[in-house]
Amino acid sequence: MDIVTRVLWGVSVPLMAYSFFKKRGLTKEAMGKAKGMMQGMLLDIIAIIFLIGLGLSIITPNEIAGLLSSVDAVTGTFIAALAGCVTLIPAFVAFPLVGSLLDGGAHLVPSVAFLTTLTMVGIKTFPLEIKEFGLKFTLLRSLFSILAALVIAFIMGGFI
Amino acid sequence: MALLQSIKKSKVSLFTIAAYLLTLVISQEKFGQALKGTTHYLREMLVVMPVIFMLTVLIEVWVSKDVILKNLGEKSGLKGFGFSVLLGSLSAGPIYAAFPIVKMLLSKGAGVANIVVILSTWAVIKVPMLANEAKFLGPRFMAIRWVLTVLATYLMGYFMAMFVKKEEIVGTSNPETEGLTIIDDYCVGCGVCVRMLPEVYELNNRKAQIKVSDLTTVDMSKVMQTIEKCPTKAITLRGTTVSSS
Repeated sequence: MDIVTRVLWGVSVPLMAYSFFKKRGLTKEAMGKAKGMMQGMLLDIIAIIFLIGLGLSIITPNEIAGLLSSVDAVTGTFIAALAGCVTLIPAFVAFPLVGSLLDGGAHLVPSVAFLTTLTMVGIKTFPLEIKEFGLKFTLLRSLFSILAALVIAFIMGGFI
Repeated sequence: MALLQSIKKSKVSLFTIAAYLLTLVISQEKFGQALKGTTHYLREMLVVMPVIFMLTVLIEVWVSKDVILKNLGEKSGLKGFGFSVLLGSLSAGPIYAAFPIVKMLLSKGAGVANIVVILSTWAVIKVPMLANEAKFLGPRFMAIRWVLTVLATYLMGYFMAMFVKKEEIVGTSNPETEGLTIIDDYCVGCGVCVRMLPEVYELNNRKAQIKVSDLTTVDMSKVMQTIEKCPTKAITLRGTTVSSS
């Protein structure tokens, strides 16, 4: 286990024990709720992990990184941001995927843009958002999210 | 019909199985590589999943959303922004789970800027997901992205409020349903209502449904409790036939 995982476990297990000791009823109830939510997604998540494993054996992370760097940085980032809008994988699975792309030599800037639009803009929730907030709000929010993703990505490129 | 529905529900899994079978036929080597890669991913995910689970539970137990909601109200400026970020990053569930809560806040006087901040932070910077990001991309990566994202949502809220007036935010969904209903779009299938009141609710294909048509024999205070506990506020109760006795 890497150090980050160990720290995360080291923090959450004692807190969980404390919570169980102090507010047993509420903790049990929250556990049931979280379990229900995760169970609903678990099958799809596992299936998507298997798909990513398959995808990365056919096109290796190095090859994807190569493809991404064959276009110039700005275009690549733009494509990555748009790809994030239409990709339907849970953010949960996206982190290890982006991690292996980075290890394979992909640039940081497009990877960050992809991560941000992946969660902030979703074509799947688009109809629902229009239904609740109207077309103008939804379109503008998505547009601003893409812009924000690009800005965040380029600034991060300067940092790391 | 039931078969069709269950196929639709598990289409991702079925597609994956088909893709693997196809790969096995074409190249055994690739098939082996894929399984090896997947095992690695699964193992990494399995060690972090309990952490995400525990953090979700801890936030649910110890962070009172009511306090945040009460403070949010009409507050604008930095304070409103702060509470919006808190609400967004401490809530569980996918972004669409935020829609009903945000609509409720709108009707209670929250401004456009705060709404945008809640939706954006809800989507991008959830605390349990930050743990996940720190594991796979490093704490430094996570921290810098977090700071930049929070700043970005502030600007987004500011500009959105310039372009969109509150009166323009009118959705078409206003289901004038009578009695007790569950909005399918928002149910995340956590099953909390089923556990609380199994005689009223049941889970079908990962969605909660109401199985009784006559509510007269049901303890309405318990029903109100399930409405309150529902994490996405998907359960609604309307109409004159039911009094909250």
